[in-house]
Amino acid sequence: MSKLNEIADRAAGATPPSLAGAVRGLSDKSIAWIFIAPTIILLLAINIFPLIWTIYLSLTNYRANRPNAELKFVGTEHYEKILTNPDIWAAMQSTAHFVVWTIVLQTVIGFTLAWLVDRKFRGHGFWTTVILLPMMLSPAVVGNFWKFLYQPQIGLFNYIISFFTGAEPSSFEMLGSVQLAPWAIVIVDTWMWTPYVMLICLAGLRSIPDYIYEAAEVDRASNWRQFWSITIPMCLPFIMLAVLFRGIENFKMFDMVNLLTGGGPGSTTEVASITLKREAFEKWRTGFSSAFAIILFVTVFGLANIYVKALNKVKSR
Amino acid sequence: MAEVVLSHISKKFGSVTAISDVSLTIGNGEFIVLLGPTGAGKTTLLRLVAGLETADAGTISIGGFDATKSAPSSRDVAFVFQQYSLYPHLTVFENLAFPLRSPIRNMSEKDITAKVKEIAGLLRIEDKLQNRATQLSGGQMQRVAIGRALVRSPSIYLMDEPLSSLDAKLRGDLRVELKRIQHVMGATVLYVTHDQMEAMTLATRIGVMKEGHLVQVGTPREIYTDPVDLYVASRLGTPSINSLPSKDFQVAGIPDTVHTIGLRTEHLQIRKGKKGSFIGTVNYVEHLGDQDYLHISINGHELVTLSNPDDGLSTGDEVSLEFVNALYFDRAGNRVHRGKHP
Repeated sequence: MSKLNEIADRAAGATPPSLAGAVRGLSDKSIAWIFIAPTIILLLAINIFPLIWTIYLSLTNYRANRPNAELKFVGTEHYEKILTNPDIWAAMQSTAHFVVWTIVLQTVIGFTLAWLVDRKFRGHGFWTTVILLPMMLSPAVVGNFWKFLYQPQIGLFNYIISFFTGAEPSSFEMLGSVQLAPWAIVIVDTWMWTPYVMLICLAGLRSIPDYIYEAAEVDRASNWRQFWSITIPMCLPFIMLAVLFRGIENFKMFDMVNLLTGGGPGSTTEVASITLKREAFEKWRTGFSSAFAIILFVTVFGLANIYVKALNKVKSR
Repeated sequence: MAEVVLSHISKKFGSVTAISDVSLTIGNGEFIVLLGPTGAGKTTLLRLVAGLETADAGTISIGGFDATKSAPSSRDVAFVFQQYSLYPHLTVFENLAFPLRSPIRNMSEKDITAKVKEIAGLLRIEDKLQNRATQLSGGQMQRVAIGRALVRSPSIYLMDEPLSSLDAKLRGDLRVELKRIQHVMGATVLYVTHDQMEAMTLATRIGVMKEGHLVQVGTPREIYTDPVDLYVASRLGTPSINSLPSKDFQVAGIPDTVHTIGLRTEHLQIRKGKKGSFIGTVNYVEHLGDQDYLHISINGHELVTLSNPDDGLSTGDEVSLEFVNALYFDRAGNRVHRGKHP
């Protein structure tokens, strides 16, 4: 205690008299505000201000490559254009296809893997680590090597498919075909992020105590019934959380699509974020793309909110 | 309900022997309480009967069928776990209905509702049926856990210290209720506890366990008055039995093999004054209300016994003691019977 006092005394002695005078007489609340002010200012500067600025720009004809041009206020014109533009709707559809299928596949496969790993077989720790590896790679690396795997002449993926189906390896192009390209991206994202879903599901499975299963067994519930009436309901909040994370993440998926197909062939894999990048940094329609960004933001924010409400309902059960 | 017969059951966990050659017949409608300290193997024995563990040796027969290797679901037993183990995501109603919804049972929804309501009434939780299991207090949760066993009519009810996590008053209430329900239903029960009060009041027979062995089985009265060894004797009775070395106390007519004299309150006659076989001094008196704990030092040893507060004994008083029908034990702690009297 005396040591603490000594330190406090030394700190007090080292404080310049002018500062000490300024601080003295401040209420606890004011001091609290002084401490959190830097964070709040930073948040305002890099989060809130750009948001407001984007809303403002979305109502103008501003173009970032012509900063000196006359700025005209156009009202909600951009919003009307976006919502009636078939290309934008096509991009939204691609995004929805991508989001829905990656979530379905990742949840089903991720949960199954978690359920298998949870069996605690010999070497399950080793296999868990192996399964987690894809998640630890950089999306840029993953995008690039899957480009090679999908290569029709030398790609391993095509060879494996041909081994099982008997089709010529070079008879199909995963990334070049209009039908296959969207699925090629779904496959890569599933390969990379299923481990993440597995990890969350595994936490859920581990949270169910053994004695619940013992009670169910004594209550004469079959394994099938135990799975559906105990494992799934008690794991559901975790599964829903994984879906939420993956959903938000994939709604704004950019890097992998950009690396693999760049939105092509044609615009078959042009998800919303790719369209947005084209409008903003290729066509330089800053006002228009700002409006699009706001629409995307409201969509994700709205959906996530509805979803979180549902999640809380499940969790409070 | 059915007769359950355990014969020569042994169970090891790694190198640790949990159960060693236990044989026990639980008659139809009997309430058997396994008593023993933590680690004596009581819970393991219960789990073996339930099928949650498999015996290394010996056989278990339930209702005449050899169930030694059967899965828990095919044994038709009900288990009340120490840690409630309710299904947290279900309502009280669904928790109670869970065992009834087993496809083996094929019960109609109407019958299920009727049965759940009946049991909920019995346990006085009918107003909680729509609550989530996690919104209940500890006592209510334990009632639901007991109720989940009672909705069924299994061969045997297995209960693992079901009252241990409750406060004293509730424990007392539920104990009485449990006995009443068992009586009404004529249920066969195997019950584990380390609480001697529960054992004495609930059991038709008590089995005392020690380090995986079943040391003695008998009615509560037999276990109390006629223990086979010092270990069993010290399981029952409050204050617990006093054990004095016989070399320091000359008692006429006891066998030479006696090493320890066991004395309960009823084995002692205490009078104020110095006229008696042994003279002691009251060290201090603990007042419990309706009775006192008397700490007496005698020949360099200490005795604890109950006394009537009206006896007027207080600290420092000299008292004379007579031993009446004391229990005698040899060097190994086994009971030595005096003369021809068993």
